Amino acid sequence: MAAQGAAARRGGLRSALPLLAPAYLWLTVAIFLPLSAMVFFSFMTELPLAGKPWAFTSGNYAAFFLQSLYPTLLLASLRLGLEVTLWCIVIGYPAAYVLAKVLKGRSREAIFLLVILPFWSNGLVRIFSWAMVLREGGILDTALNAVLPFKINIDLMYSYPAVIIGLVHSYVPYMVLTCYLTLQAVDDSLIEAGRSLGASRLQLLKRVIVPLSLPGLVAGAALIFVPVVGSFMEPRILGGRTGTFYGTVIEDQFVAVFNWPLGAALSFILLAVVLVILALASPVLRRAA
Amino acid sequence: MAGVQVSNVSRSFGAHKALDDVSIDFADGGFYALLGPSGSGKTTLLRQIAGFDFPDSGRIAIGGESVERVPVEKRRIGMVFQNYALFPNMSVADNIAFGLSVRGEAKTAIATEVQRALDLVQLGKLGGRRPHQLSGGQRQRVALARAIVTKPRVLLLDEPLGALDKALRVDMQIELKRIQREIGITTIFVTHDQEEALTMSDRIGILRDGRLVQEGPPEEIYDRPKSEFAATFLGDANIFRGDATGNGIRLPDGTAIAAGAGARLAAGAKASCAVRPERIRIARDAGASDGGANILRGQVSKRIFAGNNSTYFVERAGQTLKVIVQNTGADRLDEGQEVVLHWSPESTVLIAAG
Amino acid sequence: MATTRILEWLGRLYILVLLAFLYLPIIIMALMSFNVSPFYQLPFEWTTEWYAALWQNDQLISATWNSLEIAIITTVICVVLGSAASLALYRYEFRGKKLLQALLFPPIAIPWLITGTAMLIFFFGVGIGRGLFAILLGHVALALPYVIVVVSARLQTFAPELEEAARSLGANQWQVTGRITLPWIMPGVIAGGLFAFAVSFDQFVVSYFLSTPGQTTLPVEIYAAIRKGFTPEINAVSTIIIAVSMALMLLTARFFKFGGEK
Repeated sequence: MAAQGAAARRGGLRSALPLLAPAYLWLTVAIFLPLSAMVFFSFMTELPLAGKPWAFTSGNYAAFFLQSLYPTLLLASLRLGLEVTLWCIVIGYPAAYVLAKVLKGRSREAIFLLVILPFWSNGLVRIFSWAMVLREGGILDTALNAVLPFKINIDLMYSYPAVIIGLVHSYVPYMVLTCYLTLQAVDDSLIEAGRSLGASRLQLLKRVIVPLSLPGLVAGAALIFVPVVGSFMEPRILGGRTGTFYGTVIEDQFVAVFNWPLGAALSFILLAVVLVILALASPVLRRAA
Repeated sequence: MAGVQVSNVSRSFGAHKALDDVSIDFADGGFYALLGPSGSGKTTLLRQIAGFDFPDSGRIAIGGESVERVPVEKRRIGMVFQNYALFPNMSVADNIAFGLSVRGEAKTAIATEVQRALDLVQLGKLGGRRPHQLSGGQRQRVALARAIVTKPRVLLLDEPLGALDKALRVDMQIELKRIQREIGITTIFVTHDQEEALTMSDRIGILRDGRLVQEGPPEEIYDRPKSEFAATFLGDANIFRGDATGNGIRLPDGTAIAAGAGARLAAGAKASCAVRPERIRIARDAGASDGGANILRGQVSKRIFAGNNSTYFVERAGQTLKVIVQNTGADRLDEGQEVVLHWSPESTVLIAAG
Repeated sequence: MATTRILEWLGRLYILVLLAFLYLPIIIMALMSFNVSPFYQLPFEWTTEWYAALWQNDQLISATWNSLEIAIITTVICVVLGSAASLALYRYEFRGKKLLQALLFPPIAIPWLITGTAMLIFFFGVGIGRGLFAILLGHVALALPYVIVVVSARLQTFAPELEEAARSLGANQWQVTGRITLPWIMPGVIAGGLFAFAVSFDQFVVSYFLSTPGQTTLPVEIYAAIRKGFTPEINAVSTIIIAVSMALMLLTARFFKFGGEK
């Protein structure tokens, strides 16, 4: 009967169009056309502005492959994404499990909200807040030296670990969120059934709980990995001179070097990488939806 | 108030024929049940009458006026939905007032009408409640009040009692009938519950696979079903299949079964006979049978005791027959017992093979 | 059972450690914004001079106004366009509907670095250029999918019979939408609006590429200040921002359950 109801509303494109057009027109102008334009520009020698002469070229892509700098940086960014994602899984999954299966009622709701709250606050400011903790003479340094009997120097600021810490701090709530949603959907009676069949905790975890929450893990991993590979502000603030990654190079092309066609080519290569990753993750994600 | 005429209405969804050339005349002020299994088209037909969907062909008239292309909001009908569809953001009174208020009637007039409707469904004091604060039966009454307060020309009910438990259902059946009589509105209701259809309606239409199988008063359909489907869907029936002998049939093993006067089929054609389980008498031997009766021998394979009656399953020539006997304190037959079944030709309905 | 209880307590302890990791830096930043020493030296001495200094910083103040203005306009546009689109996607069946729904995900999933630079190129190419208008164009596009997703999620819980019931009582399409459907999706619309505000107000990457020295937003201004060198003034304004956005999200949570509780 539901099918008949839907069928009765079929053929509704004409009615739907006036409601849909404004939103999708906006998305077209501000997202889809720009992404297409980026591809177009990436094949130009020069911006076609102010009467400058320009021509089509594949030189911008050649530059990527000929200068070992760019592939190296892309690999470094991919490695950064991988490390951050792994740390987020290690830290976030157990937290999601405790939230979904140990805590109950109002305390669960409250703590869950507390965990994901920072995610929706300003990312830039949260990265900046780590500077206060990690620098020499900062809180971590002072606190450890106050407790420990010997003198140590903690100066993590402007280092690779600092970038990792900042990014994990930024993105771990995402992993908690996606894993919590799938873990919560795992019926407790399944776990009880497993235990009644004599499975140990570890066996249950390995053979029931993790497989069932896999969509959440994959969703979280994709949603973390993708923006981390394209991050530039976090390495700039926390990484200093060690913080040169693929994202920062793209930023440079647009705000410092003003080689937009090269920047567009680099961006497009990143987009291609991102799309491949999302495509690989999509079968699992579709199962989750 | 007005009658509804459905003439040759067909409606397909893709390759699926949901309604196939259906014609029914719903007289003014009557109480009609549309009965059928799920997928039979009964809800589709109700939605056609309501105007949620339009027929591919055919005509629908309310009060003599063609409405098959008129959208629901202009048809002046009242409808009660399966899950009541009360607006959760409004109080009971606002729910009932909705239909009057969208017409732009005056506030004071609306208030009077709403109170009258609340009194009619015996919820006089609950106007300020929210739907979620009501019991299932109360929601049902609100839905009904909301549907009739606008003085619609016809009241449509889509499995209105489906969500209620058994005891409440019986109460609501009586209540619904009382209200319908009081305002005298043409009422069409969809159900898959045969008992509901039998007890409530003046006439029943049985649908199957989008076609109207039979239509008429409950007694007529029960006593004289025109098809095996009608016989078995409305009530229980033992079906015998064989060759027509004019006024009866001959079973493959040669036994003759006589049907009541009136029904006649050309000899030799395939035909069947339907007999209601409660019309058959069961005895240990043939002595008790009255003359001219249909008689069959068999063996009790199972007895199910249900308080005021017992159902016997009797095996005979590879067929299991069902017999219902009132518990009058007479002796009970055990499983395995050889028995004689007998019933009068008047209790036998002759059906041409479909 | 004893091991189960120990494990449960370890679990709770773990959550506390995680919360400490998430909140300590923010709390420290907030504390430092009230510390006298401009070099974050301890011992801690209370002052509000950095907040007072904010009032003298015209650049920060004008950037704050820009941010608020853009966030509010973004919210209004997104709520209107997003609710309309959600309603259409809910109510009607047509070819290509799945594609339209899928198209909502690139703006969410593609890193803002890519969308931001792409907008920069395109807006320059078509003559829109950079500045507040370009930023607004971008913010709406980024926030719109969130609004559609949130409002659609709310619509999923809406029973279509309610619309049918209203129509059977004689309500026309406008009356049905205004008196039945909109009141029902209102919590989703409010949550979506708050999301849109948060996405815009906190947005840094896209604003960064689309801003010009005079026409900029608060996060971009803060980034520029950080790169020049840390000052307690930045702590002060950062503390304000984070307090505002967390309060907003708490408000959002009142209207929209993230947890999908049964």
